[in-house]
Amino acid sequence: MARRLRRLGLVLALAAGSAVLIPTHADALPAGFPKIGMVCTPGSVSGTTHTFNLVANTGYADTPDGNSIFMWSYANHDAPDNDHFQTPGPVLCVTEGENVVVNLTNTLPEPGSIVFPGQADVTASGGSAGLLTSEAAASGGTVSYSFTAGNPGTYLYQSGSDQAKQVEMGLYGALVVRPNATTCPPVAGTNCAYGAGTRYDSGREYLLLLSEIDPVLHHAVETGGTYDLNARRARYFTVNGREFPDTIQDNGTALQPNQPYGALVRLQPNTATNTQPALIRMVNAGLLNHPFHPHGNHTTEIAQDGRVVARTEHFGETIGSGQTLDYLIRWDDVDQWSPASNPLPVAQPNYRNLTFKDGNTFYSGSPYLGYKGTLPTGTVSQNVCGEWYFPWHSHALNEFSNFDEGFGGMATLLRVDPSGGCFGSPTATAIVGGTLKGGTVAALTADDAAYYQVNPKTTTRPTATTAGQTSITVASAAGFPASGNYDIRIDNEVLQVTGGQGTTTWTVSRGQLGTAAAAHASGAVMTALANDWYATFTGLPAGAANLKVTYKGKNCSNTTGTTCAALISNVPQQTVRICDWTVAGAAGCSSGTSAGWVTLPPPPSQPRDVGSTDVSSTWTIPGSGSAYVGTGAYKGQVRVLVHTQRWTTPSPTAFSTWGDLMKIVYDAP
Amino acid sequence: MRAIAVTTSRVLLVFAMIAAGLMFGGSAASAATVSINLCALPGTAPLTDAVTVPIWGFGIPTTPGDCSTATASLPGPQLHVTLSATETTTVTFNVINALPAGHSITFEIPGITFDAGAADVDPGGTLSRSFTAPASPSAPGAANAAGTYLYGSGGDGGRQQAMGLYGALIVRPSTANQAYESAATAYDVEAPLVLSAVDPAFNNASDPVAFDMYKYRATYWLINGKAYPDTAGITAAAGQRVLLRYVNVGYDNTTMMLLGMHEHVVAKDARLLNSAYNASADTIPAGATEDVIATVPAGGGPSDSGFPLFNRQLHLTNGGQTGQSPSPLTGGGMLTFIHP
Repeated sequence: MARRLRRLGLVLALAAGSAVLIPTHADALPAGFPKIGMVCTPGSVSGTTHTFNLVANTGYADTPDGNSIFMWSYANHDAPDNDHFQTPGPVLCVTEGENVVVNLTNTLPEPGSIVFPGQADVTASGGSAGLLTSEAAASGGTVSYSFTAGNPGTYLYQSGSDQAKQVEMGLYGALVVRPNATTCPPVAGTNCAYGAGTRYDSGREYLLLLSEIDPVLHHAVETGGTYDLNARRARYFTVNGREFPDTIQDNGTALQPNQPYGALVRLQPNTATNTQPALIRMVNAGLLNHPFHPHGNHTTEIAQDGRVVARTEHFGETIGSGQTLDYLIRWDDVDQWSPASNPLPVAQPNYRNLTFKDGNTFYSGSPYLGYKGTLPTGTVSQNVCGEWYFPWHSHALNEFSNFDEGFGGMATLLRVDPSGGCFGSPTATAIVGGTLKGGTVAALTADDAAYYQVNPKTTTRPTATTAGQTSITVASAAGFPASGNYDIRIDNEVLQVTGGQGTTTWTVSRGQLGTAAAAHASGAVMTALANDWYATFTGLPAGAANLKVTYKGKNCSNTTGTTCAALISNVPQQTVRICDWTVAGAAGCSSGTSAGWVTLPPPPSQPRDVGSTDVSSTWTIPGSGSAYVGTGAYKGQVRVLVHTQRWTTPSPTAFSTWGDLMKIVYDAP
Repeated sequence: MRAIAVTTSRVLLVFAMIAAGLMFGGSAASAATVSINLCALPGTAPLTDAVTVPIWGFGIPTTPGDCSTATASLPGPQLHVTLSATETTTVTFNVINALPAGHSITFEIPGITFDAGAADVDPGGTLSRSFTAPASPSAPGAANAAGTYLYGSGGDGGRQQAMGLYGALIVRPSTANQAYESAATAYDVEAPLVLSAVDPAFNNASDPVAFDMYKYRATYWLINGKAYPDTAGITAAAGQRVLLRYVNVGYDNTTMMLLGMHEHVVAKDARLLNSAYNASADTIPAGATEDVIATVPAGGGPSDSGFPLFNRQLHLTNGGQTGQSPSPLTGGGMLTFIHP
C-alpha cells in the first residue's frame, strides 16, 4: 500500500520525543465530544429543519497491522470538520418529526448518492436520476435529499450508486432518530431508544457499526487497477471503522486521525441507584452477515431496522448485511464475590504458574471485581483498577483477525467497572502525631470489626513543674506539632503550647479548657489531646477523576485495652485531609501540619464530631484528580490524613482513634 | 415466470368454510386429491437477454408421462395447491427423471412430511411422492399446512440444485388472497421471489458431477431465474399490500434490502411467526422461505423505477468481473423494483 509507512513515521516521531506532531483530536468530531460512547455530528437546526452538509471524498484508514487503506467515505462539510476525511461517515442524529435535509457534494470520480434504508418518502432535488436514487455528478456534483424523520430508531445510510464498489469502499454511516418528548417523556439522566419502555442511561449509549474491507479492491481503486468482484475476500473486519485493538481507543484518538469513533463499551453493575441499562445500537454496513457475540451478559434485542420487535435475549445473534439491531444491556454482579465477605470457594492459581499471551493482559491479577493482584514478572497489565473486560466480537472467527492474524478485527471490549467506579484501599499507614495502639493497615480495607488504632503522642517532664511556670522543657518534641497552638494534658491540667513548637522548650498557657493550673511532679507524663495519621493509596492511574474519599472510624476514651471505652460527651473533632502534591511534593505532606494537606471539601463539612460510635463520611473532589495523585517517585499515590483533636472544654482527656474503613473511589480514564 | 395452477377447482369452498365458522377443518372422512406431474430434464435458461446457460430443471409435461412435451425452466414451475375448507387434500407429485444416465433424482420439499414411499429414482423412472395437507384452517403448527415452500432434487450431492432443479411450492389456505389463515396475511399482490445463483462454468461443464466444486463461483445472482435488468418488476399501487414470498434456493444466506418502506415479516419456513416484525433488510437463510407483507406507501420510491429491492450482499453484477468498475455499471444481479 502506498501509504503503509505513514504510521511507522508517526511512531518514530513519538520515539524521538516530538509530541508536537500529534493533534489534540482527529478534527472529525464536535467540540466537547465524550471519550467513549456514540458521538453525534450536530448539523444545524433551524426551526424543525435539521440540515447536514456532507461531502463524499477519499482518504486513508489505518489498520493495527500497520496497513493504510484507501477509502471513500462521507465527511462533514461543516466546521470544525471542514471535509476532514473520516470512516465511517458522520453519525447523523435527528429527532423524530424533524425535516431532515442532507446536502451531498460528490468529489469522487464517479456519480455518488445516498440512500436511507428505513426512511419513507425521501425526496431528492438536484442531481440526476440514478438506478436507486438521484445522484450527484462526479467531481463536484451536488444533490440534496430530504425526508421527515419518522419512527425513532437506528438506521443505516449508504451510497445508492455503483453500490458493489462504493459501499465496499466505505460510503456508509449511521442515522439515529431519537424519540421526541411525546414518545419519550423526559427523565433526567435517561433517554429512550423508542418509547418509554426502551429507556436507557443517556451516558451509556453506544454505536457499533460493522463493516469489512477487501484491501485488494481498495488498492485497485486507488491505483486504477482492475478488480474481480466475484473474488471478493474481506481481510479487515471493522467496528466503527477500526479493527481491534484500535477499537478500544478513545473517540478522536490522535493515533487514528481518520477513524474518530471508538467502540469500547463501559458499564457499571446495576444497583439500587444504577438502574438503567446501556443502549447498544448496531449497524451492519458491510456486505457480509456477521454473527456478533457479546460476552458478559445476554443482550436484550429490542428493535430491528428502526422498528421495535418482541424482545429476545442473545449471546450471539447474526446481524444481516444492511440491518440494524438495537440492544439493551445491563450487568448484574450476580455472585457478589468479595475477598473479605464472599471469597471464591476455590483456591486461585499461583501467579507464578500463569502465562499471558505476548506478556500482555487485561487481567488485574485478582479475580475480584475492583481488586488488583499479582501478575508474573514482566507481564504488562492494561488493567486500571480491577475492572473486568469481556470481548465482544464476530464469532465468524476469521473476522476476529487482522489479515488473518488474531486477535483483532471485528471485536471490541465490554469494560465493567466496579460499582460506583474504581476503588482502592490503603496500602500503608504512617503516624505523624501519635503512636500505634493496635491493628494494621489491613484493618482499614473493610467495614468490619478490625480497627487501625492510634494513641496520642506522649512525652515527659524530666523536672517538676510549678503552677505558675510558663516555659517548660520536655523530654522529646517528636510527634508533636511543629507549628500552631495545641493542647496537651498533664495530670488534671490542660496546657496550651503557644511557642517553641518543634523544640523541647515550650511556652505554655496554663489551666486551659476548664482546668486549673497546678504543680506537677518530676517525670509527669504529658499527653497530646490530638493525633494525626495518614494512609497511602497506590496504583492510581494518571487521569483519575472525581475522587471520592470514604473514612469510617470512631474515638474511644481509653488508650489501653482491646475494647473501645465509651466516649459520648465532649467528643473529639475529626478533620480528614488529602495531600495536594503540587504544594511541595512529598515534603508538603510530611507532618501533620504540613502545607500540602487540603481539607476535603464539604459535604459533609468538617470538622466532624466523632465519639465512640463509628461515623462514616464520603467526600468528593469533582473534576480532575491530578493534584492529588502523585507523580515521579510517588507516582500513583494518594495520601489521606486523619487529624483528630479534643481541644474543647470541659477538661478534655486523652483518647484513642479507631479507624474502621478507608477507601478511595474514582473514575478511571 | 409461468404460474401454473394445478389445484382442483373448488368454488364452493369459501361458502363451506363460512358455514363451518372459524372451527378448524372437518374430519378426514373425505379427501380432495391433487396430482402434479413434473419432469426433471436438461434445458436452457436465459439469465439475461444476453446470456443463456444449460440447466437441469423441472418442467410440466403437457402430455402426462411424456417428458418430450416438457420444457425445463429456471426456477421450475411455480406450483400451487389450494387447501379445502372441509376436507384434507392429498397431493401427489409424479416426477419423471429425464436426466442423462447416471443421475438419479430425489424430490424434496423441506417442511413437508411425505407419505412413506420411494425417495429417489433413476433416469427413465417415475418418482411418486405424496403428502396430505389438512383442511383449512388447520391447527397451529399442523404438518403440511398453508405456506411458502421450496421443492427440488437433492441428487448428485446437491449439484442438481446448483444446476437448476428447484422451484417454489405455494400451499394456499382456503381463504383467497391470504398467505395463511391469519387475516394479517391478506394481500393484494403476490410476488414469489425465488432467489438463486448460477456459475455458468458449472452449468456449461460436460458433467456437473465431475466439476471441481472448490472452483465453484457463482457470477449470476437471480430473482426468479433472471438477473437485473431482466428481472420482472413487481407491480403494485400505493396502499396495496404486496406479499413477497422469498424462497432462497441458493447456497448463500441472502439479505434482501427494501428501500422506501418496511416489510412486515409474517412467516418463515411456512410457519406464521408468533411475533411478526418489520424490517428493511432481512436475511433469508439458504434453503429457507420467508413471507412478508410490504404495504406500498404513498409518494414515489427513491428511484424513478420505484422501490428498489436488492441483495444487500451487493451481488449486483452479472458475469465475470475484470474491469475497474462493477459490470454492468448500470446495475445487475439480484435487483428488482416495486412500482405502480
